[in-house]
Amino acid sequence: MEPVIRFADVSKVYPLRAGDVTALSHVSFEVERGEFIAIMGPSGSGKSTLLNLMGCLDTPTSGDIFISGIRIQDMTDDELTDLRRDRIGFIFQYFNLFPLLNIIENVNFPQMMKAGEVVDETKAVEVLKSVHLEESLHTHTPLELSGGQQQRVAIARALINDPDILLCDEPTGNLDTKTGASIMNLMTELNKRGSTIIIVTHDPTIAAYTQRTIRIVDGRIA
Amino acid sequence: MNAIFWEISKRNIRLHMLRSSLAMLGIVIGVVAIVSMGILGNGMVMLVSDSLSSVGDSVIVMPYAGGGGMGMGGGGRTADLMLTEQNFQQIKRVVAPNLAVPVHSTSERMNVGVNSDDIIATVYGLPPDDVPDMLQLEAGSYNNQDSGCLVGTTFAKDHNVKVGSRISIGSDGQYGTLRVTGIIEERGMSFDISTDSAVVVTDKWFENTYDVNGQYDEVVVKVTNGDTATVKTTIEKQLNRNIKEKTVTVIDSKATLETIYETFGTITTFVSAIGGISMIVAGVSIFNIMMMSVNERVKEIGIMRSIGTRKRGVMTMFIYEAGIIGVCGSIAGGVLAVLAGYGISALMLQTTEYLVTVSNAITIFQGVAFGIVVCLACGIYPAWKAANLNPIDAIRHE
Ligand SMILES: Nc1ncnc2c1ncn2[C@@H]1O[C@H](COP(=O)(O)OP(=O)(O)OP(=O)(O)O)[C@@H](O)[C@H]1O
Ligand SMILES: [Mg+2]
Repeated sequence: MEPVIRFADVSKVYPLRAGDVTALSHVSFEVERGEFIAIMGPSGSGKSTLLNLMGCLDTPTSGDIFISGIRIQDMTDDELTDLRRDRIGFIFQYFNLFPLLNIIENVNFPQMMKAGEVVDETKAVEVLKSVHLEESLHTHTPLELSGGQQQRVAIARALINDPDILLCDEPTGNLDTKTGASIMNLMTELNKRGSTIIIVTHDPTIAAYTQRTIRIVDGRIA
Repeated sequence: MNAIFWEISKRNIRLHMLRSSLAMLGIVIGVVAIVSMGILGNGMVMLVSDSLSSVGDSVIVMPYAGGGGMGMGGGGRTADLMLTEQNFQQIKRVVAPNLAVPVHSTSERMNVGVNSDDIIATVYGLPPDDVPDMLQLEAGSYNNQDSGCLVGTTFAKDHNVKVGSRISIGSDGQYGTLRVTGIIEERGMSFDISTDSAVVVTDKWFENTYDVNGQYDEVVVKVTNGDTATVKTTIEKQLNRNIKEKTVTVIDSKATLETIYETFGTITTFVSAIGGISMIVAGVSIFNIMMMSVNERVKEIGIMRSIGTRKRGVMTMFIYEAGIIGVCGSIAGGVLAVLAGYGISALMLQTTEYLVTVSNAITIFQGVAFGIVVCLACGIYPAWKAANLNPIDAIRHE
């Protein structure tokens, strides 16, 4: 079966006035369906760059990237956007919920992008239940929730369109140890139910939850 | 497009109520300025067209007075600038079957009743047979006696003149006394003769009194089929054969009226354009708050883009925002403009009777539409900028 993600000799160079920055050089790897992977490495080593490429937020300077068998270079901006919407779930360090929308609306947002209209809350309620968020919070706004609760909402939002991959950049970086652990337990649970999850982290205790670790140093897989 | 963007735009405007209201206020002022100026202009046109009489199409022939144009209306009599009997006969021949009426006119002192103050008014001398074709009466009957006269309605009102009253013409009544047989209906300012404040006598009486037999101040041609332009050229061709020494000046009342309306139309447009400047200022403030809104929400936009919102969706959201401000501001402006137009008309035109008209409805509609268009136009660049933010840059800056 086709891997969910395949990087073939991928390099990413940021052309800057002060000189080109090679954020990634000649990276090749595959992620199989159902894997739970940690990406580790020192600051500035290229972890976020790698995650952004996997998430189709950026295109490589050279090499090929395949997401579920689809080659992402030469895709139009709209096609990449739809790919992100339908096959990828993003989870960020700072949760990044929409402050103007309530919890249900936040979770439903990617679904509404897909449907092109407002959708009912059945599925959002179901997904919020699967990330263990109390129902009484559904009509609150994000800023009325704790960090851990916000991250659960963000995870629910990432899951709403049944993506092939969950991409998480330091998802526990802004949470205390105990809350971080509960989020990691949730991740483990989701992985057991079939989600493919990739987590960028500095923290070896977080990496310990995963099945495999990809180490990056200076833009290369170590 | 997606209702959720509409929701977000609405909530964002509500969140920043103060600055949204200020931007709206700008648009309100812009629309009020444009529309109330337009209403004033329309009122002016109506006022002028109401006071200029439309007593049918006529062509006025006057003696040529050299280079410059002629003033309108009767005016004073200048001995050497008169149309001759021969001129009149020529005109009469070329304009047939249209009616040509020779007109005498002068300014004269007169008195009504004993011991009253002197009045100075225009006296017209017209052939009695032609008068019914030119003037309508509101009281009394037409006059065909040299001892009788007609007076205009304003004259009658101002000097308390009734049918049967007597008017002594000349200082100390040196030219005799005339009996008023009829009051002429209000006719307004006109290019041929302005009778509202005048006295109309027979041509015989006029010629005998002032010794101007066969010398006319002007000839009025009543054009029955409306083709005043042709009549004008015919007369000019016939009487101004000698290009160097023209005999007559011919005024086409219809064309002149049209020119006057056009001029007022231009004034209205110009004045509205001045109102348009305030609209530009409003547009700039909309642009400003939209840019602020975009800059504040760089991160939010980046997240939206990364979780599957197309550029067009982001764009829509900001266009909605500009649109809401534009529609609310413009409609509020339209409503206030009606009040402002009422005020200005009452103040400057002394009347508000020209307020409910089709042209005002159009003016209001145009003003409101213009306000909305300005808002949308000023929202386009900020919306475009938001849509084209790089989502990576947006989520990188924490
Ligand atoms: N948009 C960009 N423009 C220019 N240079 C960039 C950009 N993004 C990343 N870089 C550079 O690429 C290199 C890798 O950056 P990246 O953000 O991937 O590191 P990271 O491993 O995620 O670091 P951290 O652990 O601090 O988040 C760095 O040298 C960074 O300065
Ligand atoms: Mg990073």
